[in-house]
Amino acid sequence: MEIPFTHRQSAHCETGTTSNLLNHYGVPVSEAMVFGIGAGLFFGYLPFIKLNNLPLTTFRSATGAIFKRTTRELAIKVETQRFRDPEKAMVALDSKLDQGIPVGIQTGAYWLPYFPPAFRFHFNMHNSIVIAKRDDEYLISDPVFPEPVLCSAHHLKLARFAKGTLAPKGKMYVFREVPQHVDLMQPIKKGIKVLTNAMLKNPVPLLGVRGIRYLAGQLEKWPRKFGKDQALLYLGQVVRMQEEIGTGGAGFRFIFAAFLQEAASTLEDNRFQAYSERMTQIGDHWREFAVVAARNCKGRAGENDSYAVMARILIECADQEELLYQDLANSI
Amino acid sequence: MDSLEKELLNMVIEVCKITDPVPADFSPDQTLIGPESPLGIDSLDAVEIVFTVQKRYDVRIDSEETSRQVLASLKTLADFVRSHM
Repeated sequence: MEIPFTHRQSAHCETGTTSNLLNHYGVPVSEAMVFGIGAGLFFGYLPFIKLNNLPLTTFRSATGAIFKRTTRELAIKVETQRFRDPEKAMVALDSKLDQGIPVGIQTGAYWLPYFPPAFRFHFNMHNSIVIAKRDDEYLISDPVFPEPVLCSAHHLKLARFAKGTLAPKGKMYVFREVPQHVDLMQPIKKGIKVLTNAMLKNPVPLLGVRGIRYLAGQLEKWPRKFGKDQALLYLGQVVRMQEEIGTGGAGFRFIFAAFLQEAASTLEDNRFQAYSERMTQIGDHWREFAVVAARNCKGRAGENDSYAVMARILIECADQEELLYQDLANSI
Repeated sequence: MDSLEKELLNMVIEVCKITDPVPADFSPDQTLIGPESPLGIDSLDAVEIVFTVQKRYDVRIDSEETSRQVLASLKTLADFVRSHM
């Protein structure tokens, strides 16, 4: 059975999958709205968690949290299953498809053959929606691709049971119950409240606005502390996590700005339009940091591209974000 | 290659400080970023390209997927700039 499913491309898999599933069930919310209601924006500098032996910096909330918060706030009942046996996992998937139910799946992106080789990396939290089975292939609405894609049952099974960190264990999820009418006003306010608390009142100094300032202080010391080469590796890690292929951290700020623009309309409050513009400017400032960092990593830094300059830009980003979150917290 | 594609190619060479000559058979349809890039451009260079395009043409490339598509080739970049100017 082929489910009549409208595929929309999106910037990120979790927000795109959530938005596409909601739209399928008649809840017209954009990717940006999901990102906002799910309180997707965040900052954390976690030097004790290493990725490729380098400290982890994150610009968004934990993977999976956006889907969880959004569905909870919109009162969607979700049925989630994990499996030990790959065969049983595929049978369960087929059974849902036979019933005409689109199925969200978590997979290891590395094993999905439709990803171009340059973008195939070991990320076990890739979300997409299976919408049909055609002989031995599945039709998948993968939100980071422009059109639905085909994937063999063999490769899909490998991807659903990828090994390693955050292994998906065949995870699949479907919407069991969706309210007939969804009012976005309270979920929007709740999403903003969760975000502003996480960014302003986080007790851990490595997280939120304080975390941005902490990173600024650390980053300025890296060349003295670790030497030039190691400092560049640390810097490269931050900028790659922020701006891989030109977006990332700033990109998340831009998505949140789009959410605030939509919130202005839903809440009928023009202040949110101005907040949206401020968030876009903050995203641009993060991008300035990334450019200076990238110049250093590529060995083409000029006089104005020092570690002190990068630290100053980060402090400015923290200051601007702090003011904006305070205004947002006072407006809901 | 049209005039905007040439202009963008020169911008890429300038901001990414590419010193090797552009291959004689370079085509605007070829991959711009990544291991298959004939110009040897990587994701860190992409940051500089996105930033410079915004500054020079007042065009913001603002989501991960958009940037992947826009920076797929010199032609897609030129098309994007043209359609947003």
